[in-house]
Amino acid sequence: MLPAACAHRVVSILSQALEDCAEKKKKLEDNLALCRALLGDWKVQTPESPKPECDPAGDQVSEPSAKELEELELLNRALEKALRVRKSTLQSPLGALGAAGGEKAAEKKPATSIARTQRAPCSKESIPKTIKVTSVSKKAAFSKKFPTYMLKAPYRTDPVKAPTHQSSRAPKMTGEASTKQVRKTAPATSLCQEVFCAVAEPSGSPRSLPCEQQSSSSFGGSASGKNPVAADPENDCPGSSTESPMTQSQKAGDFLVGSTTARTFTLQEKGSLLKLPLPYRKAYTRNSRLWEKCRLCQSSSATAAVRNHFLERMQASFCSSAPALSPAEIEEEVMVLHDTHSFLSQCMESETTGHPTWEREYESLLTLEGLRDMASQCLLKLQQLHAAAESQVRLRPSDCTHSTRTSLEDCTSFRGRRCGATPLLFYSSVQELREMTSLKLQVAMLHQQIHIQKVLVAELLPVVESRLPQDESPSHLYRAVYTQLCEGGERFPVLVNDELPD
Amino acid sequence: MRSGRAGTLPAAIGALCRALPLESRPAPETFRLAKFDRPQASLRRVLSPKPAEISTQIRFVKSVLWYHGYGRPEFYQLPSDGSVGSRELLLAFSWLLNRINLLEQLLIANRVKIGDETSVCTCEGNLPNTWKGRTEIVPELCLKSEVDVRYLQWLNGRLRFQWRNLHVDHQEQCKLFHKIHSYTVGCHIDHTIGHFSVTEVDLVRQPHSYKQLLQLLESETSRLEAFLEWKQLEPVYWHWMVMNQPNIKDVKSEERELPDEREFCAAVRTITEAVELKLSDLKYHCAHKKNGMHGPYRLVFKDKTVISELRMQEAKLGRQLKRLQEECRHKLDQIAEGLAGVICIPPTKR
Repeated sequence: MLPAACAHRVVSILSQALEDCAEKKKKLEDNLALCRALLGDWKVQTPESPKPECDPAGDQVSEPSAKELEELELLNRALEKALRVRKSTLQSPLGALGAAGGEKAAEKKPATSIARTQRAPCSKESIPKTIKVTSVSKKAAFSKKFPTYMLKAPYRTDPVKAPTHQSSRAPKMTGEASTKQVRKTAPATSLCQEVFCAVAEPSGSPRSLPCEQQSSSSFGGSASGKNPVAADPENDCPGSSTESPMTQSQKAGDFLVGSTTARTFTLQEKGSLLKLPLPYRKAYTRNSRLWEKCRLCQSSSATAAVRNHFLERMQASFCSSAPALSPAEIEEEVMVLHDTHSFLSQCMESETTGHPTWEREYESLLTLEGLRDMASQCLLKLQQLHAAAESQVRLRPSDCTHSTRTSLEDCTSFRGRRCGATPLLFYSSVQELREMTSLKLQVAMLHQQIHIQKVLVAELLPVVESRLPQDESPSHLYRAVYTQLCEGGERFPVLVNDELPD
Repeated sequence: MRSGRAGTLPAAIGALCRALPLESRPAPETFRLAKFDRPQASLRRVLSPKPAEISTQIRFVKSVLWYHGYGRPEFYQLPSDGSVGSRELLLAFSWLLNRINLLEQLLIANRVKIGDETSVCTCEGNLPNTWKGRTEIVPELCLKSEVDVRYLQWLNGRLRFQWRNLHVDHQEQCKLFHKIHSYTVGCHIDHTIGHFSVTEVDLVRQPHSYKQLLQLLESETSRLEAFLEWKQLEPVYWHWMVMNQPNIKDVKSEERELPDEREFCAAVRTITEAVELKLSDLKYHCAHKKNGMHGPYRLVFKDKTVISELRMQEAKLGRQLKRLQEECRHKLDQIAEGLAGVICIPPTKR
């Protein structure tokens, strides 16, 4: 057992250390959670994601898809009915289409069986329906896309003229028009989540890329040649102007088609396609430019003169008995001394290594002498600072608080901070970063351990020294103190009774 | 007051106010009114942004100024109810503004954090000072009774465990950082950086959360602009402050008051100011020369990379700790010899 007085200090130090650790851990955990969320799957946001009322990814997405699936069920049933009615009249021209569609279906990985049954009869017929589905199951925000499809609607929603239309357009279907048409359905697919993705045929898949861009708010894809930006009205109808890059984006589209089934976004796959929102980009460039300007802006000599003049007049009005060095200056000097000390000790260590030749030895001797002189200068300085600090405490006005850590500026953290771009620390590999982090932590931990050790020594050794000689069974206390002070709490000594059996 | 300058003083003060952080921004009128000794809360607020009662604020402001070496006795004698003293506050504020480049410090301190920040320095100054401060400030724990030494052992063990946890978490964070950075290579508009930070990726993912960041950035930008404006107009403010300074036994200033000698005194003043500037330049160079003495050694220092420096620090601290432990071992061995009938066998060294 330890007396309360000495134990108090030790306990409070250890508790403080624990609290600090817990604080750091908490901060770290928040950051880690965010990182993990960013690296996981980003659920593709619903089209209104640019709007402020949208929830963070994943929250809203599950509900609409369930609702959508229900609606799609109903619509599919209606579709099938209609298809059965039309089958007989439109069998021949669409048979080719159906075959083509079937082929395409075979090539493509279909998402669900619903999509397949929908496709099998004829893709043509499904087109007007999908547009309707679009209008029904889409949220209000997509109404802005609706007009574009309305424009094309007359071509497709008129089943009476269908035979002539379709026969004339059937050859076109395989050409560009097909891409256009199916392209128009592709937004429907991307919007109606995985159910319609099968309709996004390879030829139409390029379209899914811009759609995905639209639906996934601020993801900018350079594939389409455009950079849609969150909440940017100019992104209303990328489809209408993306006809030319279609072929180019074919590859990207194919790539995306493979993942459209998952309908999620991962940073790993598409991270390099991301683009920052335009307002942010502008603000960022303006901001960094201004910081540079601030860094380069120097006071003119006239300004400096006036400032100094003011300062000196103020100085003249100061109390003459005020100490020469302010607490801030004392601290600054202490920091400088500290740096000098670590620097000197490093030099000293490097000089005391083996010397092969007499020249080298002589050189190191001279260096050590120089270091010794510098060290004695530093010691002198330290004494002066000590005296200054004491006079500070003496002369301090009564209502100044003792703590020198004013919240206005935390001087240690301001050391070396200047205007301008934030300094960059480059790392070239994960190992480097990890090593640096672990070393930093080790150093901090060692600092703390050394400090705790000093406190423990100061508090516990006297107790042991005073108590043990008289104590009946010293082993507990002795072993406990031994392990704390000498082994860092990791190993115990063994106490053996030195009594020879008689 | 020269007529040409009169118009730009409000502009200067306006720029000064706009460059201050939003929550502690005084109205420009405050400055003009402060000349007349009145209670002025807003100037105080600049220096102690945390809302608190008046006497605490005043105490805080006085501590800050004492810390930086402000020595006007009239200031420290101000009453703690804030009833008078706006003029002294104005003087103190201007002095601080001048002395420590208060505006710049505030801008830097309140800078919006966009990137993944880390620090490299392992300033020991941070740790022991705060430790010492805390053991004094920590209120008396209710340890009326004795404490079992095993409680200390338990606390220590918990601490070691926490450190290990922290270590693992940090390693995980490194891994995640690396992943995020490498996945977003080539996306950033700033090519020296090249990739996004965690905040920026989150910005893209949740655009609604970036509105706040955008606002902060924009307000920082406007403060920077105001700061640049202030730098242009500064001399006007300082001239005005010099006029406002209490009469000091300064021969030149008295001469300045006489209109018929004004030109002569203006010339004298410019000359003395230029000389002052030259002298302070010289002092500055001298100080730097002193550092230059360490020049040849310093070069070696700079060659080392961050990691090797950290390794050296770690080794040094490890040795220091071992040394302390050895000392304790000696002492405890001595104590053990004093114990009758017991031999202490230290644990085997692994």
